Amino acid sequence: MRPLSLALTAQRARDGTDALTRRRVLIAALFLGVFPWLMPYKALAINVLIYGLYAVGFNLLYGYLGMLSFGHAAFFGTGAYGCGIVVARWGKPWFLAIPAGVFSAAVVALAIGYLAIRTRGIYFAMVTLALAQCVYYVFFQAESLTGGENGLRGVNVRSISLPGVSLNLLRPTTKYYFILFFVVVALWIVSRILASPFGAVIEAIREREARARACGYNVAAFKLITFVVSGALCGLAGALNAIHLSTVPIESLVYETSGLAVIMSLLGGTGTFFGPFVGAAAFLLIQDLTALWTEHWQLIAGAVYMIFVLFFPRGIWGSVLEWLYR
Amino acid sequence: MAASAGVAVALVPSGFAALRAQQVPIRVGFPVPLTGPYGAEAKDQVRAAQLAIAEFNESGGLKGRKAELLVRDDKLNPGEAVTRTLELIESYKVDSIVGGLSASVQLSINNVTKERKVLFNSISQSDVINEAQDFSIYTFHEALNPHMTTGAVGRYVFPRFGKRVVFLAPDYAYGHEMVRGFLSVGRQFNIQVLAQILHPLGATDYSTFFPRIQALKPDLVCICNFGRDQQLSIKQATDFGLKRNARIVVPILLYTARVAAGPKAYEGVIGGTSYYWRLEDTIPSAKTFNDRFRKAYGGAVPSDYGSLGYAGVRTVLEAMRRAGTTDVARVVEAMLGLKYDFYKGPEYYRACDHQAVQSVVIIESKSKDMESPADVFNILHVEQPAQTHLRSCQELGHTA
Repeated sequence: MRPLSLALTAQRARDGTDALTRRRVLIAALFLGVFPWLMPYKALAINVLIYGLYAVGFNLLYGYLGMLSFGHAAFFGTGAYGCGIVVARWGKPWFLAIPAGVFSAAVVALAIGYLAIRTRGIYFAMVTLALAQCVYYVFFQAESLTGGENGLRGVNVRSISLPGVSLNLLRPTTKYYFILFFVVVALWIVSRILASPFGAVIEAIREREARARACGYNVAAFKLITFVVSGALCGLAGALNAIHLSTVPIESLVYETSGLAVIMSLLGGTGTFFGPFVGAAAFLLIQDLTALWTEHWQLIAGAVYMIFVLFFPRGIWGSVLEWLYR
Repeated sequence: MAASAGVAVALVPSGFAALRAQQVPIRVGFPVPLTGPYGAEAKDQVRAAQLAIAEFNESGGLKGRKAELLVRDDKLNPGEAVTRTLELIESYKVDSIVGGLSASVQLSINNVTKERKVLFNSISQSDVINEAQDFSIYTFHEALNPHMTTGAVGRYVFPRFGKRVVFLAPDYAYGHEMVRGFLSVGRQFNIQVLAQILHPLGATDYSTFFPRIQALKPDLVCICNFGRDQQLSIKQATDFGLKRNARIVVPILLYTARVAAGPKAYEGVIGGTSYYWRLEDTIPSAKTFNDRFRKAYGGAVPSDYGSLGYAGVRTVLEAMRRAGTTDVARVVEAMLGLKYDFYKGPEYYRACDHQAVQSVVIIESKSKDMESPADVFNILHVEQPAQTHLRSCQELGHTA
């Protein structure tokens, strides 16, 4: 009896998971569609979108491929500066600027990835960290282009003209949905990648690299492609952040920003589709609310983070999923 | 404890007051870095700004309409500052933003406020904010800028203490701007620059620089760094014995840094500041301001950056009162018409870049004859406000 019921439960769980999984982009989009009304203010909701996407990009590499990078700020920052420079310095429109940001982040990811994927574990983390610091320094020194220490100001995209409509981005709700459009497209791409044979292979590499190699897969190529896609997604997040803030702070490239991706993914649940968003929302919300009533907000944020690492190692969303499909 | 409680209270938007008032209060957003390395200065700015709000309300507000301060922690991060500024503008519909305690933070806030036509009064040093590219008619700069500060310090020290100068500066925007300012004023006095030494930001060991500096036999060593870097480098220079043959000069001599480092390390160091509380000996408005501050905060005196929080908020409220409205175009006009003496003697905003034309105080750190623990500097000279001490409007790229 017992084995049968267990098998049945597992079957049901699989069905449930499948139904949810098949519609995960739609569900995520619907949730994010009403999300701004659950947050204290719109600018924070937009931050969650952007950092959620950033963590999703990071999670593709860490959660699904199993490679822990400490240098993802390089892609976030390059995407932000790539987009920002095209708008602020060259006066080109947003529809050229956003792809420019994504493309420049992908190029940097290709260069860093090419060097870094030869290593694994802690060495991989250290190499990505070191190379990301190099990227930081390049942007810091290129003052005439990036504004250096003062940051890049003037990434002003006030309105978007589309055939038939004009969107005023100075209105926070409009800006939110404009950014949400890109985030949903990116989520759809990630979902397609994960559902494809490619997605299965990278998870296979995470589980046992030697076996994947023995099956005939070119592990290095899979790693590099995933690294570049991950970098491009983070670049998109950076580019959207440049438009959201209308400035690009040099802080976009510091190692703390790399750490944010790690913290948000772990808090939400690595290797889950929607976990990074939950992590980003939880982290930013805790930080925002606690900072309003105490200057020791870091203490509270740190305690919450430790509780999750110690007692809920699957993260918030990972624990919810586990509970749902028990 | 009382101080942090005060800040905590300031952080809560005073919802009850708003409910009681017949009209919506005038809201002033105040993003400052309560956490991080400039936390001490930021908290002092909040205290002083609260004082300006209280004064305004006690004297009747704007036709009975009261003001309130919405404090936000920008965490010394431009991205966070922008997010908070957007919150203040979009959710609270603030009538003005005052704040910012680093060049990059104030420039980011400024980019947001000028896009949304909200008046912003910046209260920390930057040269760039005066320049045409970042300026807008909604941008005001209550603080000094590096050019004014180094100019005043240079005009005081170069004729008195010699012309052989070595610069030691951190390798980032602040250090570069300060050195540029000293070089600019130095040309008038034909100073001889023996060396310009750059150190990494946040360096802890300066001992390797001092033998080289001593070998150059300078009259003056200009140490152009800030905060903890300033504390450490000056302390190590003192231990090394650099002061035996040369004077140490800093562009900005911070009250809080001097109090933290103690009298010995800073003994004899000369620098500039926007405000030192002993101005009360000669300036009545400083006395009034200090007394109010003492009364409100248990006898403490306001710091240099703290008092900027007071001036920054008070000028905006005063302009609103004169304009009789919070309509931004008319408030800007009223700001430009102000000739005010709120805490340090006469000031006004220059028309082309909205820089507050004001005095610069030259001070020297002392270790003897201190009347109280707060009595840490001697005022050597007060350079009176003059537009000629600012970079010209043409130089900044303004056409008007």
